[in-house]
Amino acid sequence: MTTMPKSLFAALEVSTTPDPAVLEYLKAGGVAKDAGQEAYLARLRRDVVSKPVIYLGTGTCGMGAGAAKVGNALRQYLEANHKDVEIVEVGCIGMCAFEPMLDVQMPGKRRLSFMQVSPDNVAAILDGVFAGKIPTPNLVGQFRAGPAEAWADLPYLDEHPFFKPQLRWVLEFSGIIDPGSIEEYIARGGYKSFLETIRSKTREAVCDTVEKSGLRGRGGGGFPAGRKWKMALSQSSDQKYLICNADEGDPGAFMDRALIESDPHKLLEGMMIAAYAIGAKDAYVYIRAEYPLAVQRLREAIARATAYGLIGDHIMGSGFNLQFHIKMGAGAFVCGEETALMHSIEGRRGMPRPRPPYPAQSGLFAKPTVINNVETLANVPVVMRKGAEGYAAVGTATSKGTKIFALSGKVQRAGLVEVAMGTSLRTVIFDVGSGPPAGKKFKAVQIGGPSGGCIPPQLLDTPIDYETLKSAGAIMGSGGLVVLDETTCMVDFAKFFMEFIQSESCGKCIPCREGTRRMLEILDAITRPRRKEENIDALVRFQGIMRLAELAETIKITSLCGLGQTAPNPVLSTLRWFRDEYEAHVFERSCPAGACKDLVGAPCQNTCPVGTEAWRYVAHIARGEYAEAYRVIRSANPFPSACARVCDHPCELMCRAGATGGEPIAVRTLKRFVVDRVAPDTYKEPVKPAGANAPKIAVIGAGPSGLTAAHYLGAMGNRVTVFERESKPGGMLVSAIPEYRLPRETLRKEIDSLLNVNVELKLNQTLGKDFTIDSLMDKDGYKAVYVATGAHQSKRLGLSGDDAVGVLPSIKFLKAYNLEGKHLAKGRVGIIGGGNSAIDAARVAFRQKGVTGVTVFYRRTRTEMPAYAEEIEAALAEGIVLKPLVAPIGVVVKDGKLGGVKFINNELGPLDDSGRQQPVPIPGSEHVVDLDTLIVAISEQPEGVGLKDLKTTRWGTVTVNPESFTTSRPGVFAGGDVTSGPSTVIKAIAAGKSAAVMLQNFVSGKLLKQLPKVKLPSFYVEPVQVAGEEEEGDVMVARVKQPHLPVEKRRGSFAEVELCISEEAAQCEARRCLRCDLDFTRPLH
Amino acid sequence: MTTVTQDIQPILKKYQNARRDSLITILQEVQDAQGYVSKESVIAIGQHLRLPASKVFGVATFYNQFRFHPAGRFHVQVCRGTACHVKGSLSLLDTVKNELKILPGQTSRDQVFSLEVVACLGACGLSPVMCVNGEFFARMTPTRARKLLDGCRKEAVQS
Repeated sequence: MTTMPKSLFAALEVSTTPDPAVLEYLKAGGVAKDAGQEAYLARLRRDVVSKPVIYLGTGTCGMGAGAAKVGNALRQYLEANHKDVEIVEVGCIGMCAFEPMLDVQMPGKRRLSFMQVSPDNVAAILDGVFAGKIPTPNLVGQFRAGPAEAWADLPYLDEHPFFKPQLRWVLEFSGIIDPGSIEEYIARGGYKSFLETIRSKTREAVCDTVEKSGLRGRGGGGFPAGRKWKMALSQSSDQKYLICNADEGDPGAFMDRALIESDPHKLLEGMMIAAYAIGAKDAYVYIRAEYPLAVQRLREAIARATAYGLIGDHIMGSGFNLQFHIKMGAGAFVCGEETALMHSIEGRRGMPRPRPPYPAQSGLFAKPTVINNVETLANVPVVMRKGAEGYAAVGTATSKGTKIFALSGKVQRAGLVEVAMGTSLRTVIFDVGSGPPAGKKFKAVQIGGPSGGCIPPQLLDTPIDYETLKSAGAIMGSGGLVVLDETTCMVDFAKFFMEFIQSESCGKCIPCREGTRRMLEILDAITRPRRKEENIDALVRFQGIMRLAELAETIKITSLCGLGQTAPNPVLSTLRWFRDEYEAHVFERSCPAGACKDLVGAPCQNTCPVGTEAWRYVAHIARGEYAEAYRVIRSANPFPSACARVCDHPCELMCRAGATGGEPIAVRTLKRFVVDRVAPDTYKEPVKPAGANAPKIAVIGAGPSGLTAAHYLGAMGNRVTVFERESKPGGMLVSAIPEYRLPRETLRKEIDSLLNVNVELKLNQTLGKDFTIDSLMDKDGYKAVYVATGAHQSKRLGLSGDDAVGVLPSIKFLKAYNLEGKHLAKGRVGIIGGGNSAIDAARVAFRQKGVTGVTVFYRRTRTEMPAYAEEIEAALAEGIVLKPLVAPIGVVVKDGKLGGVKFINNELGPLDDSGRQQPVPIPGSEHVVDLDTLIVAISEQPEGVGLKDLKTTRWGTVTVNPESFTTSRPGVFAGGDVTSGPSTVIKAIAAGKSAAVMLQNFVSGKLLKQLPKVKLPSFYVEPVQVAGEEEEGDVMVARVKQPHLPVEKRRGSFAEVELCISEEAAQCEARRCLRCDLDFTRPLH
Repeated sequence: MTTVTQDIQPILKKYQNARRDSLITILQEVQDAQGYVSKESVIAIGQHLRLPASKVFGVATFYNQFRFHPAGRFHVQVCRGTACHVKGSLSLLDTVKNELKILPGQTSRDQVFSLEVVACLGACGLSPVMCVNGEFFARMTPTRARKLLDGCRKEAVQS
């Protein structure tokens, strides 16, 4: 069994006696002399096998994922079941995210590949295969090549989305052959090109072929390999060197490691051809010591090739001599630079020197030297086999052949991907890699390691080659692709690379040594909160704004080597594409992605619009301190019970527990648990008594925003009057959100508890009819007005007949039921829209009398629907039908009544500005759906009555200063949906809360400004340890599932659907919290 | 003190008449055998290669691989490569630092743990990655790291 080698200096323990038949075949130049030998080679290739063969992936990735444990379980299984099976350890096929991988080949049948094999499921998989019943959940596919019989009805490996877009030339054998067997490599045609080359080709001819093939350096700059070789060949010298650069220092690139571990002989063959072409007698492999397994496999491969006479003097009777040497890098990134690398081989510090002279003229030990990267050299046998034209047939005008990418980061199928040059990044990231994990939005992809740059979403469709990447501000580099999603902060990311470069700068030239340090200081300064402004901090920040780009340019122009010249690239490219994030850090001291720890604190608290200390109440729940938890929730949010039910919980999206492959904490479910247990009077907001001459403030609209503002303004000692048009307070909470999501009694209690002595509520008062803003300010003596009238006007379809009887705007339909108990939906009900109000309308209609069926029509697909996923889930469970990818184009009217709706089918086309795929109509797909009721829920906007004096946008929303909430009229403030258009409850509450501060500032004559302030956790809650939990080991505790009312009880009933979790479940869930706050807080004692 | 120099004699013997280009290889082999590069070894290597000890030390300190004090019984490496960074290796490293109460490059007083930050372990598909005595641990979270280190600690106490 493969293990990580303990020492890389111990003597090799491999048998190197050549197989005489293979040696004979090799000496004959790779031509089988008779059918007997051919059959022998076929057995070596395992085209046909006499007993079952199990292939286990034991590359570093596989071992890291537990291949050794799988191997042990496998052997135990085979022993227990008395199976005679050959076990072959192979390298890595590239599906790193699905390791450990295991292939099974039954006699006479094609090889099958399985993924995510564990000691627990290995027995089941093998039982299935031996019984002929293939377990499909773990199956990737069957191999296509080979004479054996195919499995019926099983997919092929090359049809799997991971492999389908790939063109595997260099990785052809990776993960398929035994890297420890030179015989298998030879039997598959290996070393044939090398023998042909040294026996029948001149050095010039080889250089010519490589030059004509268009092969360019795969390690960074992309210099044509053939031209480099010719330069070295033209030098006259007694000694020349070939160096293979396997110092894969780019964080995020691992193709060289995988290639050496999985198919070391391909590299050796490429090196042999290259050494012959330039006339080198010594070849060095400079490989990272961090890759022990690769070093070990390489040492073994060299020993075996030497035994076969492929290395040494007078190789295969050709008169060509070649020796191999392995030099291990000692962990210096700069040694990837060719002159530094040569210094390192010479036993000096790895510092670069100026060029020219180029290494091809004067390199290692001052002799002509060619340095190529692993992937470049591994391409050489492919070039020789296919010929220059065959190789150049694939690729773009300037970049030929294939390129291997190491796909990692926020992507579902990470791994090694080899595609033709000119393939788009979208294909690699979304087709092969399947995009970021569910629910996260793609932000950028970083290519080329610390010297590279970021590619934003709008450039994803450009075909990849050396030139297109350069024009996008990145480089091909070694081909590490790190995918970033919305939770990655680009400033933090640039800082990460700067830290790396700063610590890896060799220190020889000043621009790189000092310049990168200054850049790092600037980035540090803009990613931490305000310190004392009297020291240098303010100046450094200011410098950051003014000088960062200039400093970067200077470093780029004046550095000595490639490391320094490309060091500012990560900053420059993020600055180019994501300048808004830098500005948020500099001006607002906020990190929109929630990644900069010092600006964010706990991401849940940071992302909550009202700043709820979610970490803190979760910690209290874990300790069983529910009243304390309630106080934490209520002190930040006056609507805890409503938010526990209808909040869109941005905190869960940002939760770090969800960032590392796990599931986020169910914060809203936990909040629900607390509010159901604790009475609202546990928390009392301290209220300042209002004096006789306290300022009078009017709040128009008793929705979440208006009531929140009134609550806080009242508490601050103002006399507040709330005017509400409807007969009940609550705004959208009561008129649009249905009772089964938010029970009315709960809401009533909550609103009662937040009206304090200073707040007066006037119902049935309509703005523009019963009073105007003028009358409030001029006649009634209100000093200030807060307009929070919301967005209650449903948009119309804009089709003729959209005013027929039976066509209802969704808000009108919901209000009619929620406020007056009217059942307006009849018969077959159709809903157009994909937002929450569409789903609310659908689920309300479903519960009404006389409704026979409910269908939601949406123009995109379910994934693009803006409604909450759990709401869609519940709607489907109730039997509501979802028809995606349709758009209405006409309303069928019969006798003034709705008869049906004419739809056209859509397909998803290119991305629009919001990053969503646009629906494109398919001509000829028009069809009519018969409907009795049509509810239009495409969007809402403010009604505009009584707001005419205020400046509005073209969407009908009131224009406000986002910081101070002031409108165009002095003394009139506005917030919530009336300014933003339809948005979430928590954002409306946040607007009310912030606006209250501004109104207070206004009536007391203070500045209408709020300095950006970073809120960090400041209260220590001791973590709980439960005895026995330690023993669970690696088993991840799953996120709690909120129980729901059974579907059969829901029709005709408005009882609450989401139910509360048990105390035990709540505590268990709360203990899953990673406690990001503990980085900031310390116990008092 | 004499034992240290005696221990490396077999290694030096392997490199008879070696020139400067063997320096890094010798340093690596010495560290491989002894776990670190001691002051005495630096001097002995210098004498062997006819190089001033200052040059040997200068080269050795340039490279991240070389340690100048012994590693702990459990040598913990935390990967800080790009993919690992994106997947939260910073909080992983913070957790490890807090758990072990040592900084990267240090060895704990009881010689049980030493901590090292590495640029990239090349297992980006499994990020974030941690390595203890050469064994890889994939998809680490702070909680799993704590459990792993607790396990090591228990093992150290038992033996």
